[in-house]
Amino acid sequence: MNLNTLAWRNLWRHKRRTSITASSIAFGVLLAVTFTGAGDYFYTRMIDAGANMGMGHITVAKPDYNRAPSSKKYLQDAENLRQQLLKVDGVSTAFSRIQGQAMFASARKNIGGGFIAVDINQETAANNLFIKALIKGRLPDADSKHTGIILGVDLAKKLELDIGKKVVYTTTDANGEIVSAIARITGLFQTGELQIDGSMALLSLSTAQKIMGYQNDEVSVLAVILNDQRQSVAMRDRLRQQDAFKQVEVLNWEQTQPDLAGMITVDKSTNKISQLMIALLVAAGILNTMLMSVLERMREFGVMMAVGMSPKRLFILVMLESFWLAVIGLIIGIIVTTPWYIYMSQTGIDLSGAYGEGFSFGGVLMDPTFKLRLFGESIIAILIGLFGLALLSGAYPAWRAGRVTPVETLKTL
Amino acid sequence: MAAAIVELKNVIKTYRQGEVQVNAVDKVTLDIHKGDFAALCGPSGSGKTSILNLIGGLDTASSGKVILEGVDLATLSNTALSEIRKSRIGFVFQSYNLIPVMTAFENAAFVLDLQGTNKTECHDRVMKTLADVGLAGLEHRRPDQMSGGQQQRVAIARAIVTHPAIVLADEPTANVDSRTAESLLDLMQSLNEQHGITFLFSTHDQHVIDRAKRVIHVQDGHIVSDQLKA
Repeated sequence: MNLNTLAWRNLWRHKRRTSITASSIAFGVLLAVTFTGAGDYFYTRMIDAGANMGMGHITVAKPDYNRAPSSKKYLQDAENLRQQLLKVDGVSTAFSRIQGQAMFASARKNIGGGFIAVDINQETAANNLFIKALIKGRLPDADSKHTGIILGVDLAKKLELDIGKKVVYTTTDANGEIVSAIARITGLFQTGELQIDGSMALLSLSTAQKIMGYQNDEVSVLAVILNDQRQSVAMRDRLRQQDAFKQVEVLNWEQTQPDLAGMITVDKSTNKISQLMIALLVAAGILNTMLMSVLERMREFGVMMAVGMSPKRLFILVMLESFWLAVIGLIIGIIVTTPWYIYMSQTGIDLSGAYGEGFSFGGVLMDPTFKLRLFGESIIAILIGLFGLALLSGAYPAWRAGRVTPVETLKTL
Repeated sequence: MAAAIVELKNVIKTYRQGEVQVNAVDKVTLDIHKGDFAALCGPSGSGKTSILNLIGGLDTASSGKVILEGVDLATLSNTALSEIRKSRIGFVFQSYNLIPVMTAFENAAFVLDLQGTNKTECHDRVMKTLADVGLAGLEHRRPDQMSGGQQQRVAIARAIVTHPAIVLADEPTANVDSRTAESLLDLMQSLNEQHGITFLFSTHDQHVIDRAKRVIHVQDGHIVSDQLKA
């Protein structure tokens, strides 16, 4: 009989014990998938949301714009650059945007804030959170003679204005001179994030270009949206190698949104500690089972060694028992976790009752639905991690088995 | 007289019991010859098991030499001792000590598997040996599906299937009733007489002593008598 068969049979000597331990590994799979899947989903949503709100996964801007933003630092020939970006493999889309600080004034009040100007023809509710958050009115016409503006609902309240009313906004132009313009409010957005709703406005790109003295192909930034945000560093480095982007600054989201990157790093660390705790609990269960299984068979191991089995083969035998235990646990884990993952990735749990319609994390608006998403590498990491853990937990009992002294375990020969 | 398979030369085995050192085996000199059907007898604690452990390479002598087929066991590594036990020594234990998850066939084949014997040869040898010990037709039974006597027969099959130089049996009839003991003794005696297998028992059972061709009395670690029956 080969060692594999013997190990398999040994495992089923105590069906209940093996089942409980395999279940604990399966539960570990479920928890690991839930924790990792929540992280993969949550971080991706945050990064994507942050990218859609302003700077993209990759930001192309005038050198030093990110460190010290100024209306004087703007990209020229932006449309040409944008078209080149759209040809790059891995780039989903690229938006031309102008960003700036502004003072908004009504007849009664002045409020400081900021604006983002987008190309109404390029951006939609699907890829722009401000447009998605439009709760009243409509977008300004891209080519209207009358400049329109969309205000955050709280900013409008502070200014005591509503749709159809006029607002004066003051900003700086391409030369750093102060310029003012008047606009009629065409809509209000409500993201749920107080700071954004109370200070931000959305303009059409052409309006902002006209007021700031930019030409048609001059913008603050090109916000590049990638198919996969995890490729942002590689994409940044690739773009930097291309001649077309030598004269501009190419940054990835971690550089343009260091607060968000920092919060994700901290959250990931916390998540990893939780997962480590789960791993230790699973490992303790396996260790306990394997150790009990070895200690109660010391005499049997003594006999095996007496009749000529080597310590090495005995070690391998017990390791194979751990191996099969891990395989059973992982298979059960996959069977149990798959429907849970499918439900959670497609439907999820609506947490709007607890958090409201939207909540922010790291200054980024989040969807209140708790969902899971696992990247391929996370699946592999979970399976290899738990499998390795099971083998590692079996190593000490296997080592104990290999150190059996027949004469001591066999009280009589 | 046949050549000595086992030679013990002035062997001492000392154990420490707390502050006291006890010589479990004390200056024992003994030869076991091919074809012997010998019983080591004596009261509990007399040193019988210690002598078997030393011959079986399960323990090492404090002084003196234990030589098996011309090889001084003290000179061998643990791996080499494992090899010797696997190929040259058969063990029969008092409480059978079969592996519970294996069938009679698999238990008997266990040592052959360790030796890497090919499947066909292994199958033929095991089936023949099981038939020799009276277990033909029971090869698929597991230990918990067999009587004590049948289990001990499987243990004997496991011990002899490799054609060892010597079979060491510790109280082989201690856990079975007298009828079963008689049939086991018949079996071992016939294996000894028909196949020339060398047996060395430790026992207090008078039936075993009566059936042995050679009786070695052990007391306080010494051999006090060594009688060859006519």
